[in-house]
Amino acid sequence: MTAPAITAEHLARSFGPTKALVDVSLEVPAGSVCALLGRNGAGKTTTVRILTTLLPADGGRAHVAGFDVGSQAALVRTRIGVTGQTATMDELLTGAENLETIGRFCHLGAATSRRRTRELLEQFDLVGASKQLVKRYSGGMRRRLDLAASLIHDPEVLFLDEPTTGLDPVGRAEMWTSIRSLVAAGTTVLLTTQYLDEADRLADTIVVIDRGLVVAEGTPEQLKASLGRPFIRVTLPEADAAALERVRRLLGAEAEVSGRSVSAPAPNGLTTLGEVVAQLGRLGAPVHEVGLEYPSLDEVFSMVTDHSGKPTGPDAATEGAA
Amino acid sequence: MSQSAVTAERRLQQGVLDAYTATRRFLIRGKRQPDVTLGSLLTPVIFVVLFGYVFGSSIIVPGGNYRSYLMPGLFAMTVLFSAANVSVAVATDMSEGVVDRFRTLPIARSAIIIGRSLSTLILGIPVLVVMIVCGLAVGWRADQGLPNAILAFVLFELFGFAIGWLGILVGLLAGSAQAADVIVNIPIFLMGFISSVFVDPSMMPAWLRVIAYWNPMSALVTAGRQLFGNTIGPPPSGVWSLEHPIATTFALAMVIVIVVAPICVHRYSHSIR
Repeated sequence: MTAPAITAEHLARSFGPTKALVDVSLEVPAGSVCALLGRNGAGKTTTVRILTTLLPADGGRAHVAGFDVGSQAALVRTRIGVTGQTATMDELLTGAENLETIGRFCHLGAATSRRRTRELLEQFDLVGASKQLVKRYSGGMRRRLDLAASLIHDPEVLFLDEPTTGLDPVGRAEMWTSIRSLVAAGTTVLLTTQYLDEADRLADTIVVIDRGLVVAEGTPEQLKASLGRPFIRVTLPEADAAALERVRRLLGAEAEVSGRSVSAPAPNGLTTLGEVVAQLGRLGAPVHEVGLEYPSLDEVFSMVTDHSGKPTGPDAATEGAA
Repeated sequence: MSQSAVTAERRLQQGVLDAYTATRRFLIRGKRQPDVTLGSLLTPVIFVVLFGYVFGSSIIVPGGNYRSYLMPGLFAMTVLFSAANVSVAVATDMSEGVVDRFRTLPIARSAIIIGRSLSTLILGIPVLVVMIVCGLAVGWRADQGLPNAILAFVLFELFGFAIGWLGILVGLLAGSAQAADVIVNIPIFLMGFISSVFVDPSMMPAWLRVIAYWNPMSALVTAGRQLFGNTIGPPPSGVWSLEHPIATTFALAMVIVIVVAPICVHRYSHSIR
C-alpha cells in the first residue's frame, strides 16, 4: 500500500470566536510515525479529534485509511485506534473486562475478544493486574491499558494524543517501548506531544503546529538542519579578558563572549572546527575545551513558535507554513 | 464501494449486539456499586416508615387501611427515584473520557444509551422486590390474583422505563452531575406529592386537585391499586386518565419512549465535549 494512511487538507475549526485550527495540512505515509508537535492550545488535540471522527471540521478535508472522516466516519472508525489524553477506561471494570468490552464493541465476537484481551494484557505487561479494578491502577498502567484497548481490533492507523503527558519517567519509558514495538509491527501512528525528545525519539516526521497553523515540518534531522546552523564554542580555563579577546578576534565578527567561553557560527561544521583548532594552536592560548554544537530541537521549537515577533535565527525556515 | 455496503440487516444485528454489550457493561458497574443501588432503596424504605406509620397513624382511609393504600404509591415512587438516578449517572458518564472512547468505536450510535436505559430497568427490579417485601411486612396485600399483580408491576416498570428516558435526556443536557441532580429532583417531588401517591386528592383545593388528578403518577398508582385491589371508592368522574388508568399509563409510557428515546440518541451522538 503506497497511499498515505492519513491526509489532511486545509483543516479549519473554530469554537465560537476562538480559531483552534486555521489551516492544517499533513500527510502521513502508511507504516510511518508522525509527531504533531506544539504547545498547549496549538491545535493538536483538535486536529486529532477531527481525524478520529469526534469533531466535524469547519473547513478542509481529511482522509484516514482511505475514507473521508466526515462522510465515511463509520468506516474510518473500524480502522482506527485512538488513545486520548484522558483515561478512557472504566474504573469500575477490571482491566480484562475493559478490553473485552471494547473488543465486543469492535464486533470481534466474545471468543476473539477474550483471546485478544489475553494477548494484549501479556504484550503490555498487565497480566498480573488483569483482574484488578482499573481504579487501583497506576497512571502508567492506565495508559498502557488505554493503548492496549486501542489495538484490540488491529487498527491500520493509531492516534495517540499526548500519550505520555503526566507520566513519571518510568511510565514514559514504558510507553515509548510499547509505541516502538507497534511501529515495528507496521502500524501507522500519529502522535501528539509537547515534548521534543519524544518526537525526536519516536517520529519519522514532525509537524510543528502553532496557533492552528503548520509552522514547520520535516524529519527531525531536516528540522534541525534547516532551522539552525552548528556553532563552535571555545572554552578557556579561566575568564582571562585578554585571552578571550584574542580568541574572539580569531573566530570572526559574529563571535560572542559569554563567561569564559567564546562561540561563533561554524557554517562548514567539522571543517571550520579543524581550522579553528589549528589556529588556536598557533595562537598559543590556553584552551580548556573546543567543540561543535548543534541547536537542540528545543531551540528549534522555541524559534518557530516564538510569539514575541522578533526575528528568529538565520533563515528561519517556515517550510510548509501557509 | 462494495466494502462499505453493509446491509441493513447486518447493521441491525450489530446494533442489537452493541446494545447487549453496553447493557452488560452497565450491569457489571451496577454490581460494583452496591451503595448506589442501596441508596435508591433508602428513600422508599424511609417513606414506608414515615408515611406508613408517622403520618399514616393520623390518616384515616374510609373503609380501608392506609398502608395498603400507600404501598402502590411507594412502588411508583421507587421506579420514579431510580429513573431520577439515571440522569445523574448519565451526566457523570458524559463528563468522563470513556465517552470519547465509545464514540471512536464502530458501534451503533444508540447502543450506549439503550444499554444505560435497559441496565437501569434491570437494576431497578431487585429494588422493587425489596419494596414488595416491605409492603407485605406492613400488611399490604394484592387481592386480585397473581396475573393482575404481575400486570401491575409490568406497568410500574414500563412507566419507570419511560421516565428513565426523560432522566437520560436531562443527564445529557445538564452539563454536570450536580446540575442534573438539581434539575431532576424538583419535578420528581412535585410529581410525587401533587398526586394520589400519598393521599386522596379529593380534599385538596380545586386548582391543585385538577393537577393531582391529571398527574400521570396518579394514573399509574390508580392502575396499581385497581390491579392489587387496594382502591378506596370509585375514581373521580370526568377524569379520563383515572377512569382508564391502565390504558393511560400504558399509552403515556409508549409515547414518552417513542418521542424521547430518539432525541436522546441524537443528542448523545452529537454531543461535543
